[in-house]
Amino acid sequence: MALSLYLPRARGLHRLHPLTKLWLALFLFICGLALPGVLGAYAAFVALVVPLALWGAVLRPLLVAAGRVVLPFAVSLVLVQGLFWPRGTPLFGWGPLSFKLEGLLFAVRSTGRILMVVSSFLLFALTTRPDALALTLAQRGVPKSLTYILVATLQIIPRFQARAATILAAQQSRGLEIHGNLRRRVRALLPLIAPLVLGSLVDIEERAIALESRGFSRQGPKTSLLVLPDTRGQALARRLLAVASLAVVVMRLWVG
Amino acid sequence: MITIEHLTYTYPATSRPALQDLSLHIPAGQFCAIVGANGAGKSTLCYALTGFVPHFYRGRMEGRLQVAGHDIAVTPPSALVGLVGLVFANPFNQITGACYTVREEVAFGLENLGVPPAAMEQRIAQALALTGLTDLADRSPFALSGGQQQRLALAAVLAMQPRVLVLDEPTSQLDPVGTREVFAILAALAAQQDTTVVLVSHALEWVATHADRVIVLMAGRLVADGPPTEVLTRPELESWGVGTTRYTQAARRAQAQGLVPPGRPLPVTLSQAVAFWS
Repeated sequence: MALSLYLPRARGLHRLHPLTKLWLALFLFICGLALPGVLGAYAAFVALVVPLALWGAVLRPLLVAAGRVVLPFAVSLVLVQGLFWPRGTPLFGWGPLSFKLEGLLFAVRSTGRILMVVSSFLLFALTTRPDALALTLAQRGVPKSLTYILVATLQIIPRFQARAATILAAQQSRGLEIHGNLRRRVRALLPLIAPLVLGSLVDIEERAIALESRGFSRQGPKTSLLVLPDTRGQALARRLLAVASLAVVVMRLWVG
Repeated sequence: MITIEHLTYTYPATSRPALQDLSLHIPAGQFCAIVGANGAGKSTLCYALTGFVPHFYRGRMEGRLQVAGHDIAVTPPSALVGLVGLVFANPFNQITGACYTVREEVAFGLENLGVPPAAMEQRIAQALALTGLTDLADRSPFALSGGQQQRLALAAVLAMQPRVLVLDEPTSQLDPVGTREVFAILAALAAQQDTTVVLVSHALEWVATHADRVIVLMAGRLVADGPPTEVLTRPELESWGVGTTRYTQAARRAQAQGLVPPGRPLPVTLSQAVAFWS
């Protein structure tokens, strides 16, 4: 229903505090960018991301989602970098075009980095409820109006799309032509956008009143039904992850 | 519980007042229905009782309006949270969007009031039981039907245990089944008599059955005020744009045609109609 990657599970990564997972994602992100060698990022993927995804029981969805994002990059990187690398060892060629080893290696390394960046985000998003993240942020002093926007947008965008589809169908049934040349399409926009925007403005006013009458901007201490269990072990793990992230960066800068 | 003295309110950028010289007293525990044509000022009155008029809409307010001991002129809506609850017509717009389950949706207001988690659980369970949503507690609020969403909006407000419950056409966007469910909840509430209910509704037959008192507004003014049997049988109702129940209509025609001896009081509910015809 909501725009969210979250997959409910009752064990593993899902039970960690969102903050722990945020630090974990940051560590994986840094590893992906900083580990040396053509295959450094892939080593991190196999050694860290795969076991964590298995623990969270989200390996398959992670691979599918990561594949969808990374594959188009991989194809274009290999083609562009392989064919247009300025100097290097040609592997094979057709006429004036030749495919260079150095370009291929660069493309493989870049793909590995993209893979790690995407999977560190996915690992977090697949195992963390957006409202748990919002609560974590709110508990750390982020204003509730901002965390509300974070969560509500994810849930309300699909409703907005549904309404846009309804308006489109309604106007088409009254004879609105939405196919054809550019001029016709542009002219068709107004009868679609006007009801959508005006309707949404009315909705926003009502929603603001509904939120206010439920104490949204009330001053004073607030409580939460959702409890995010945290442990000393996790607090320690977060410190270790912070130190390890820093260590990887320092190592990268020193070793080069 | 509610005292209104010579209240006149004008929305910004309009010249005609939405409420004109309105005076009214609603004692604690009363179930008071407000009827009237479109533009009569019913919604404005609801917003005034909850502080959104004048604090959200601005505009000019004169006269005095006291709700649960608070002077609305100086009390913003956020200070009335938990004292005065508001439910309105569109079920979808009352869903916060910040909650993934029905339970959490009901908890939203309680969290903002700072209710401790244990008490929260108890109040949520009560509100869900009263509105018949217990079985749907773990569903997404967006996966509910319109009638269920409206009951959820009602549950979310009831969990905050307001002393005054204001409902602005809570069934106007519902089908007959949804309407019946919402009114059944309101009837149960009215029977407890610890909540003051102000209900704006066009559903006259339900109003006649459940309300202690009916107030008619027209063009921002109070034109009739009294028990349902008296107000809902007034001959001026049509000209006020309110209409009459089918029981009253049938009885009036029968009297006009001499089928029933004149002088019998006109019915507004089914049981009164049965008595009228027997």
